[in-house]
Amino acid sequence: MTSPAFLLTVDGIAKSFERAPVLAEVSFHVLPGEAVGLCGDNGSGKTTLVNILSGLIAPDAGSVRFDGLDVTRLPMDARYRAGIARTFQIPRPYPALTVAEAVRVALPASAGGGEIDALLSRVGLLGQRDLPCGRLSQGCLRRLEFARALACRPRLMILDEVFSALSTTDEEELVALLRAVNREDGAAFLLVSHNPQLLDSLCGRVLHLAGGRIAREGKA
Amino acid sequence: MAAHLPIGKSTAAAAGILLLLPLGLHDPFLLDVLTTGFLLAAFAGSWDIVGGVAGQVSLCHALFFGIASYACAAMTTLLEWPAFLAAPAAVLLAGLGGFGVGALAAPLRGPFVAVLTLAIGEAAHELVLGNVFLAGAGGYAWGGEGGIPVRLPWWAESPRAAYYAALVFLAAATAVLLLVRRSRQGLVLRAVAGSEMTARASGIDVAKHKRRAFGIAALLAGTAGAAYAFHVGRATAADFSLELSFQAATFAAVGGRGTVVGPVAAAFCFHVLFQGLDVPPGTRILFYALALMLILRFFPGGVAGELLRLRERREAGR
Repeated sequence: MTSPAFLLTVDGIAKSFERAPVLAEVSFHVLPGEAVGLCGDNGSGKTTLVNILSGLIAPDAGSVRFDGLDVTRLPMDARYRAGIARTFQIPRPYPALTVAEAVRVALPASAGGGEIDALLSRVGLLGQRDLPCGRLSQGCLRRLEFARALACRPRLMILDEVFSALSTTDEEELVALLRAVNREDGAAFLLVSHNPQLLDSLCGRVLHLAGGRIAREGKA
Repeated sequence: MAAHLPIGKSTAAAAGILLLLPLGLHDPFLLDVLTTGFLLAAFAGSWDIVGGVAGQVSLCHALFFGIASYACAAMTTLLEWPAFLAAPAAVLLAGLGGFGVGALAAPLRGPFVAVLTLAIGEAAHELVLGNVFLAGAGGYAWGGEGGIPVRLPWWAESPRAAYYAALVFLAAATAVLLLVRRSRQGLVLRAVAGSEMTARASGIDVAKHKRRAFGIAALLAGTAGAAYAFHVGRATAADFSLELSFQAATFAAVGGRGTVVGPVAAAFCFHVLFQGLDVPPGTRILFYALALMLILRFFPGGVAGELLRLRERREAGR
């Protein structure tokens, strides 16, 4: 199944918590620049899978290969530096840091102020650059999550319910941003969502997770 | 946060007062209280790097102060090293201790860091308190509660010279602490304090930076410990005490955790107040506990945080 043409190869991933299986034999792949959706009922194992793919937790069995390299045991920070960025379902901002400082943390040390402003401008947060992250609205926090994810120039973005609890305007602008990142930067993404219309409009194919397995693949 | 504190004029005024004070103050006891106040303020500032900026509540900070003071004493008295070699070696040992504690604390979070460091600090305190390192036939004993004397490079220390040396030391230490806080390293530590998860998802090796926070803070605490040992002429078990660590954490909370300047100012003011009024240790510890409870409940940002809030409110009203 492993092929250098695949950006991400997930092979036989299994995970249990206190002997209760959450994921079993999950296998799929993502091509460079591909837009893939992931849906499933609550408790189907979506967040566990996202946590394994981003390096937050290790699987009990199986492997994750990124760009031909085995990253199964690579921690989240190393995967980010390798080009796998993730966003959180519930953003966890740095309350005392300003928006610009939060982005600076994610950029390489050599990055200048121009690079920070360019990223903030792209996600529509330039006007809030000097505000503490703790004072941002939900929509702005989601934009900041995008800015953080884009700071590593990702080749794969794992987006966990990134459009939930947003106003219509925020959702439309972030959807447009995601399309642009996918089209212009060539970044692939794995979008986790409960919204079938959104998944169908953004993703070429959607993986359906049920009972800890990929039950089917196709439209949402 | 500290970068925007309204401290410019007040710092200049305080510096002017402290520079001129010894000219009109001839009581050696009061000069000594102020001198030790400067050294302990630098120590409290060093705690703020790990406990405030990096958000790792360490309760063994006195360990690094004590390692440096005991190393100075042992190296000058037992090994007969000159002070200019003993002091940097002692500071390096303290820094190594910091990296060691940091390595143990790095996988832990929140109260677990406090509990681990409390245990390490108390174990070290008991170790130096309960052991006599060298006992001679003449009846002398080095170690235990009395500690080890430091062989001083001068015959008689002038209280005024010591005062100015300690003041310059505090100014330099504060400048270094502020530089660390305002550097990229400081920014990363503030991010780790804010959300370890987001920091990790931003490519930050959180464990590595926690070790660094402990190491940097320990180097600076060790510098204060070495300076203190050369000032008082003896390293004692009190240099490792929980009270010293607790003081640093309390003063940081009162002054404003993570601001460096707030903890330094609070440590100096409270030390001078307590020593000047000869407040007994039991009362001091009671005060620390009460102050911590009240500050954390009503003014979590400390004095510096309140000053910022007042300034923001004033600016918003314009």
